[in-house]
Amino acid sequence: MTGPDHPFAALLAEYVAECLPLAEEVVEQSLTLERAWRDGQQADDLFRPLKGTLHTIKGNSAMMGLTGLQTLAHRLEDLWGVLADEPASRDAGAALFVRGTGLLADLVRATASGPPPEGAATDYLEEVGAFLVSDRGAREAAREERRSPDRRTADRRNPTASGEIGADGAVATIRVDSRRLDALLESFGEAMIAHAGLGEAMRQLNVRRRSTAEMAQLERAMLGLDRTLKRLEGALMETRLLPIATVFSRFTRLVRDVAHSEGKQVRLEVAGGETRLDKTVIDRVGEPLVHLITNAVIHGIERPDERLARGKAAEAVITLRAVQRSDRVILTVTDDGRGLDPEGILRKARAIGQAPAVETPSLAEIYALAFLPGLSTSEQVSHLSGRGVGLDVVANSIRALSGNLSVGSEPGRGTTFSLRLPLTVAVLRSLLVEVSCERYALPLADVAETVRVHPEALHQVARQGMMTWRGEVIPVMDGGLLLGGGAAQSRRYCVVLRSAARHRGLLVDSLLGHHEVVVKALDPSLGRPPAVAAATILGDGRVACILDTGRLADGWVEPVATAAS
Amino acid sequence: MASDSILDFAAQLSHAPAVPVVEERELRLVVFRLDHEEYAVPIQLVREVVRVADVTRVPHAPAHIRGVMNLRGRILPIVEIRTRLGLSRAEPTPTSRVVVVEVAGRTVGLLVDAVGQVARIGERLVAAPPEEVRAAGVEAVTGVARVGTRLLVLLDLERVLASAPSTAPSAASQP
Repeated sequence: MTGPDHPFAALLAEYVAECLPLAEEVVEQSLTLERAWRDGQQADDLFRPLKGTLHTIKGNSAMMGLTGLQTLAHRLEDLWGVLADEPASRDAGAALFVRGTGLLADLVRATASGPPPEGAATDYLEEVGAFLVSDRGAREAAREERRSPDRRTADRRNPTASGEIGADGAVATIRVDSRRLDALLESFGEAMIAHAGLGEAMRQLNVRRRSTAEMAQLERAMLGLDRTLKRLEGALMETRLLPIATVFSRFTRLVRDVAHSEGKQVRLEVAGGETRLDKTVIDRVGEPLVHLITNAVIHGIERPDERLARGKAAEAVITLRAVQRSDRVILTVTDDGRGLDPEGILRKARAIGQAPAVETPSLAEIYALAFLPGLSTSEQVSHLSGRGVGLDVVANSIRALSGNLSVGSEPGRGTTFSLRLPLTVAVLRSLLVEVSCERYALPLADVAETVRVHPEALHQVARQGMMTWRGEVIPVMDGGLLLGGGAAQSRRYCVVLRSAARHRGLLVDSLLGHHEVVVKALDPSLGRPPAVAAATILGDGRVACILDTGRLADGWVEPVATAAS
Repeated sequence: MASDSILDFAAQLSHAPAVPVVEERELRLVVFRLDHEEYAVPIQLVREVVRVADVTRVPHAPAHIRGVMNLRGRILPIVEIRTRLGLSRAEPTPTSRVVVVEVAGRTVGLLVDAVGQVARIGERLVAAPPEEVRAAGVEAVTGVARVGTRLLVLLDLERVLASAPSTAPSAASQP
């Protein structure tokens, strides 16, 4: 964020907030243009509006005294003029234009932490200069064009006021500092906790059988409060939702750049950009996606000659897709590359002593191994890893958002990474359970079913608990052993956890019902306990841990080793 | 008018004799007890002292973390300072308190056996820790201060809280 010592820190932040989306839009459009022109289309409807946007960025930069950015935007306008008037120049000019818009977006982004250094774009500006001089006539035309900028477009794209006026003259939209929204959310969380406390107190009263008229009145008031809080939650979440397109927009260029440096031909296709997610999720999902997409280009996709030899199109396709499923959003990154190598993964997992417990693991179980720390950085399965970033790191950052990451693959056909993310990060619908007198919350989205344990359905196979569930034999873990709460007594219930690879049961003592809990991050002092994702405060004021069900379901079973390491 | 009396008061102040300059720096320390020894930490680091509420264990948390506690809606990690200083773990008693401290930007609670009054002691009363203490490897002790018949053990909280283990790769952790 903006350095607090800069005198215009707040103004700069506002500048970035306003110009970055514009700059990213220009990048996006110019990439599309480059493609369209290559395919022999005119695409004027895309090309025309770019000038207005560039002009707005130039104006805003000038206003902030960001001369470097102003000059760059100015030169891009010149270049735009040449491209507009001399379609023949587009072959050579398009790439230059794309590069310039990318640089522009980078510099605008960097401005968040202070004005970019003088001369950040010198090399590029010289290059543009040379290009423009090479066609004097075109340059004159560009000048002419610049003298009569499209005011209407510029004005529409320059929302200087912090609000937009609706049809009836009243302010229809207002811009609010996102920190205020965060504070609002925090207060709402406190209200939820207080509400849970009230509910708990009422239960106690009811237990003492004081059912009187006052009690009935209290219950009615409580029901009203329930409904109001629900509505408030919905409304509050609504204000925090942003379209995922804000994240997606920067990937077109990423794919292009990485593919270019790798000598590969890759096209990014995006679907579901209008899907909305909580701002916090949006802010934090970009980084993991960058890793997954970069990995796909570098390791997943074959070189063009190799692809042709396999009968595939030389140009590979990476598809980025977002879709909402009830209170989760599923993001997928799919490539049509060579796919994962299950043999290689298995070999490597065995080498680091992490072979799966079962004799003949399913493909899904093998792929799940790819998320083990230390595995994806190996050479044999190097196509799983990024440059220096392992899949385990990506998986961890998704878990930190109470989401989970899974992978599917078809050898020779491609790989799909799926990120399941919560729509919101503040309130979690959860199942509360008790294990060895301790209470834990489990995200309801990860719970497939809860069943009563019949001792005859439980088996020990090579020290691994197994249970028959819906005709399937699934591994079960004792909650007490897993969480260090005490040795196995006979547990009465089994919570079946959903997982991409395989269902897995968690044995618990009792089920305490469904609760909406307010998610509180764990303090860094607690390290990163492997089984716990976050914490919450229950109705009686006590803290309960929220379990990392994604990780448990993926078969995290080494409490002793992990605690000691 | 009230403002007149304020002005009068200000005038008095400006004519008041200068406060004699204290030669020596005075330390203000929050004193707490573990077993029969008294320990002290600078008052600047202490946010508040609260009663011990229910502490929830966090599975597989670092060994010196006893658990977490609800402090007015905030989830406060509770440090088992006894084991950090080589004492045996103990269950809270009615005199036990949680000393909420802020060290290196983190707020944590120290579970102590009892909390005494704030001590004001001159800096020169603080001596280097005895050789035996240092030999025992308790680097967290910065000095000892003799106050009458009492002996206060001064702690460096940053060292107390520096968790040696759990250096898991944290590239993915949020800021």
